[in-house]
Amino acid sequence: MGRALIVDDAVTVRMYHRQILEGAGFEVDEAENGVEALERALVVPYDLLLVDVNMPKMDGYTFLKEVRSTPELRAIPAIMISTEAERRDREQAYRAGANLYLVKPVRPEALALRATLMTARGESR
Amino acid sequence: MGLVKRAEHRAAPSRPHIRKYGRDLQGLLAQLHDDQAKARRWAARDLAAHTEAVSALCERLQVEPDPTVREAIFGSLLTIGTEAVAEGLIPLLRGEDAGLRNGAVEILQQLPDAVGHRIAALLADSDPDVRIFAVDILQDLAHPDAPAWMLAVVEADEHVNVVTTAIDRLAEVGTPEMVPAIQAVKDRFPNEPFVGFAVDTALKRILGNG
Amino acid sequence: MGHSGVARESVPEIRVTDAEFERFRDYFYRKTGIRFEDSKRYFVDKRLIQRMRQVGHEGFREYFAFVRFQASGKEFQELVNLMTVNETYFFREEYQLKCMVNALMGEVLHHKRSGETVRIWSVPCSTGEEPYSIALYLLEFWDRIDEVDVEIVASDIDTQALEKARAGVFSRRSVSHLPPWILKKYFEPLAGGYHRLCDDLRASVDFRRVNLCDPRDTRGMRDFDVIFCRNLLIYFDEASQRRAAETLYDALNPGGFVLLGHSESMSRITSLFKVRRFEDAIVYQKPL
Repeated sequence: MGRALIVDDAVTVRMYHRQILEGAGFEVDEAENGVEALERALVVPYDLLLVDVNMPKMDGYTFLKEVRSTPELRAIPAIMISTEAERRDREQAYRAGANLYLVKPVRPEALALRATLMTARGESR
Repeated sequence: MGLVKRAEHRAAPSRPHIRKYGRDLQGLLAQLHDDQAKARRWAARDLAAHTEAVSALCERLQVEPDPTVREAIFGSLLTIGTEAVAEGLIPLLRGEDAGLRNGAVEILQQLPDAVGHRIAALLADSDPDVRIFAVDILQDLAHPDAPAWMLAVVEADEHVNVVTTAIDRLAEVGTPEMVPAIQAVKDRFPNEPFVGFAVDTALKRILGNG
Repeated sequence: MGHSGVARESVPEIRVTDAEFERFRDYFYRKTGIRFEDSKRYFVDKRLIQRMRQVGHEGFREYFAFVRFQASGKEFQELVNLMTVNETYFFREEYQLKCMVNALMGEVLHHKRSGETVRIWSVPCSTGEEPYSIALYLLEFWDRIDEVDVEIVASDIDTQALEKARAGVFSRRSVSHLPPWILKKYFEPLAGGYHRLCDDLRASVDFRRVNLCDPRDTRGMRDFDVIFCRNLLIYFDEASQRRAAETLYDALNPGGFVLLGHSESMSRITSLFKVRRFEDAIVYQKPL
C-alpha cells in the first residue's frame, strides 16, 4: 500500500486512524502538529497524509500549504479530517491543497477505501 | 580571511536605525500598524511591558496578515497574562482563521486563573466547535478542576466530537471513579465505531493492568 | 527488581504499570516531542520513581496529577532534566557540524556580498567545547575558510563556565571524541590528562555573558547567519521557549539557520522557522 503519516494532536484519534490504515496495509507514522509533520515528511517519503485541522503551533491548512509549496512533498495525496462543521472547512481544505475532505468521526471502511484508492492512483501516475 | 580574532576589530553587531516612533505606549501602539512587518513585530514584542495594550494587541491579531507578527503578539499576550487577555482571546475561538483559533487556545491554556471562571460558559456554548476548543484548553490548563469539567462534558454533551475529545483528554488525566461515566458514552452513541474505540482506549489507560 | 533486602523493607515499593507508562509516554511526547521507545522503559520508570520518592508521592496517579496540574510547571521541568542527558564534549552531535560545512555555509555565502563576514553564535556555550568545535570544524573541514571571514560569538549565562571556556583547558573525557591528529595539532597536553587549546584558537571565539531570556542582554545579538542552540530550549517553560525562539529569530539574518539538539524540535515551540532538510541534519531557517 505504502506509508502514511497521521497528523493529529489527539492521541486517541491517531491510534484509531492508525488501526484503520494498518488494517488496509499501510505502514503508519504519527505527528502531533504541522511542524513535526513537516520534519518527518522531509525525511521519510510518504504516500499519504492524513491531516487534522486544529492543532497547536501549526494548523492543518498551514501545513498543507507548506506541503504544496515544497517541491519534494508537493505530490503527496492528502486527506483532511476535521471535527468541525463542514460549511466552514471544506472549501478551506481544498484551497489549502487537500485531495479529500472527511468529517470526524470517520467510518473505518470509508477511510480505508479512500486511502487505498488515493495511493493506488498515485502509484499508477 | 579565516576566523576573526577576539582582539581584532570586529564588525559592529548592530546597524544603527532611524527611530520613527517613540518607545512609550503611544509610540508602540502606532508602530503596531506600521507598513513594515518587522516594525510591527518589534512593537508587538515591546508591548509585552504594557498591560494596557491588551485590547490593541487583540484587535491587531484579527487583521494582522504576517504570521511572525501574530506570533509576537501571542507571545506578548502570554507574558501579560491578565484577565483582559483571556477576555480578548476567547472571541477568536469563533473565528474563521485556524491559526488564530489554535494560537488563542495555546495562550489560554497557560492562564488558569483568568480562564478558570470562564470555562463553564465556553463548555455550554451552542457551537460544538467552541466546546471542543474549551476542552482543548482544559487539556493543558493547570487547574485542579480540569478533570471534573471534562467529566461533565463526557456525561452531558450531545455532540460526538466534543465528547470524544474530552475522552481523549481523560485518557491522560482520568481517575477510576470516572470509569462508569466514560463507559456509559458507548450507549449514547451506539453506532459510532470511534466512540467505542475512544472509550476502550481511555479505560485501558485509566484502569491499567495493576 | 524483586530483591527485598532488609535495608529496603522500610521503603514502600513503587511500581509504574504498563498503562501508566503509556500515559506518561504520551504526555511527555505531547509536551516535548520526545517519544520513549519501549526499550527505554526501565530508564523512564526508574527516574519517575526517583522523583516520586523525592517529592513524596507513593503512587504514579497521584504524582502524575501533581505534575499535570502544577501551575509553575517546575516538576515537569525536573522530569525533563532527568529524562534527557546533557553533557558537553568536543564534536558532540558531529552530524550538525558536518551539516554546517557541507551545506549551511554555502547557502549563507550565496546571500552575502563578497567580503562580508559570516557570523555564528553558540548558545549556550557552557565551558566552550561547542564553539571551539565549530572553529575547529571550519578550519579543518571547510574548504573556503581561507576566502571568508568568520566570527564566532559564544554566550552562556554562567560566568564560571565562561571563565573555563576562555581558559581553554579540557579534561581527557571532553576531548575523547576528537581525532588524534586534531588533538595533536591544536592542543597542548598538560598533567593529569588535561589538554590546553592553542592561543590562536582561543582568541577566535568571542565569549560573552548573555541571558537568553533577558531582552537587555539579547538586544545586541544581531546579524547572525548560523546559531547553534542545542539542549537549552527543552529545559525552558512554555513562555520562555516562545521568547527565546523570538530572540533567535531576531538575532538571525534573513535566510539564517538554527540548529537544535538532537532530541529537540521546534515543533513544540514555534512555526516561525522554515523546516529545512539537509543530507546531514534537519535545520530551521528564518525565511528569506
